[in-house]
Amino acid sequence: MSAQTQYNNLVLQTLAQIGRCGLFLLQILAAIPLSLRHVRETLRQLWFVGAMSLTIIMTCGLFVGMVLGLQLYHVLAIFGGSSATGSVVALSIYRELGPVVTALLFAGRAGTSITAEIGLMRATDQIAAMEMMAVDPIAYVAAPRFLAGLIAMPLLCCVFCAMGIFGGHLVGVNWLGIDNGTFWSNMTATVDVWQDIINGVLWKSTAFGAVVALIAVFQGYTTPPTSEGVAYATTRTVVASSIAILALDFVLTAFLM
Amino acid sequence: MSQRKSYAVGTGLFIVLGFAALAYLATQTSSIANSHQGASYRFDAQFANVGQLKERAPVKVAGVRVGQVQSITLEPGKDVADVTLSIDNTYNQIPVDSVATIYTSGLLGDQFVGLQFGKAKQYVADGGHLGLTRPAASLEDMLSKFVGAGGVADAIGGTYAVRADFTNVGALSVGAPVKMAGVAIGSVASIKADPVKLDAVVTLAIDKQYNQIPDDSSVAVFTSGLIGSQYVAIQPGGSPNSLKDGDQLVLTQSAMQLEDLIGKFLVNGSSSGGSSNNAGGNGSPNTPAGKH
Repeated sequence: MSAQTQYNNLVLQTLAQIGRCGLFLLQILAAIPLSLRHVRETLRQLWFVGAMSLTIIMTCGLFVGMVLGLQLYHVLAIFGGSSATGSVVALSIYRELGPVVTALLFAGRAGTSITAEIGLMRATDQIAAMEMMAVDPIAYVAAPRFLAGLIAMPLLCCVFCAMGIFGGHLVGVNWLGIDNGTFWSNMTATVDVWQDIINGVLWKSTAFGAVVALIAVFQGYTTPPTSEGVAYATTRTVVASSIAILALDFVLTAFLM
Repeated sequence: MSQRKSYAVGTGLFIVLGFAALAYLATQTSSIANSHQGASYRFDAQFANVGQLKERAPVKVAGVRVGQVQSITLEPGKDVADVTLSIDNTYNQIPVDSVATIYTSGLLGDQFVGLQFGKAKQYVADGGHLGLTRPAASLEDMLSKFVGAGGVADAIGGTYAVRADFTNVGALSVGAPVKMAGVAIGSVASIKADPVKLDAVVTLAIDKQYNQIPDDSSVAVFTSGLIGSQYVAIQPGGSPNSLKDGDQLVLTQSAMQLEDLIGKFLVNGSSSGGSSNNAGGNGSPNTPAGKH
């Protein structure tokens, strides 16, 4: 009986959490016009979540592209098709690896710090103070960070993809000796702007950016105002974002294909 | 203030870098890099079979890209494909009697439309029509002209055993089909190595209804398709005597590599037409003449 009750509670709590998250999203969307007055704050957040994440995104993109080039070259060589390395590297980065790995890194690098920052604001009553001063904390704290995440993710993803292509080119052409012209012509022959770059890179990464930013802001905003609560909220941001990214990736791929 | 400026500059740099990366991806690594943005004119051509031709496939003259395939539709009421070609205005001197052919780039590559110029003084105009076309030749057709294809014989009514010695059976396995004229007439019963002559002894179980096979027929190991399984092909000889149970086929040809197959096809496949595999006469260039 008690196990049944616990189970029911868990289901209800999860449902309530999802519901709160959805309502929170509506609040943020409603507060976006108001937050445009704090455009400097949005810019500062964009600097923090976007520009400061460039190092990790570029490094990881380079290595992902390099390892793809290395692996694919040897597998494709079995079929005598190692000249197709360029196109397979580009397609796998554009369609899956670019958006997904960027989003996972983004959740780890930017999402956690958003959660921790807002969580500490909550714990130290800064948010309550804003409400007292008639400053809408959703418009001043939550919406700029959400917007920044939404804008930064596609840009970061493009940088990731470009570095990945560069890494694949470095390994495939410079080290393993695929012909430079073959590498590029195979790639340009198979990559479709609409299907792969607009749908694959841009839409996916924008959706992931929205999801990661929403989860990070929501977890920070609703954290219990204790140091333990902030720690849990930060962990939950990573876990929930990762699950949401991978699940959403499947759904988006199924829809966009 | 200076701190504010520094992050504003950094953010600006980040945004510019992001958009530069996007522009690079979109223009340098995608099909846009191939497509000409200049003005173009269109004309259509009918093909009996477009194979795997796709929209936006390149159109080439002498191997140089001059345009792309605009659309592929079915001609209403007919079983021919109506292909609209969009050609750069720079290349506006295509003779009306040019031949449009669908080619495959490489062995497994994408297909494209090749134009061979005719000798007419008139040129194809916008909205015009190209009369002479050649449909896509599928690789399967080409190879099946050379190798046979078909199922495995049902072996109802019993089989008789025939022996053949090969120097190399390649990847032939027990149970592989034995074919004559592309039709399965039996299967491989056993493959053993001869301990003395050091070659492969293959026993073929041939359906008893095919008991009129000349005893000087030759036998070869072939591959079905590009990377398909291997099978044994019997090419009938001219002897009046038929094969009997326990006989041995002396004229054998070992398993060939794919490279050899394609090389043979390129050299003489087109002239020998569809019968190269099944040629009855020993004079055919593809008929094995004894062991390799």
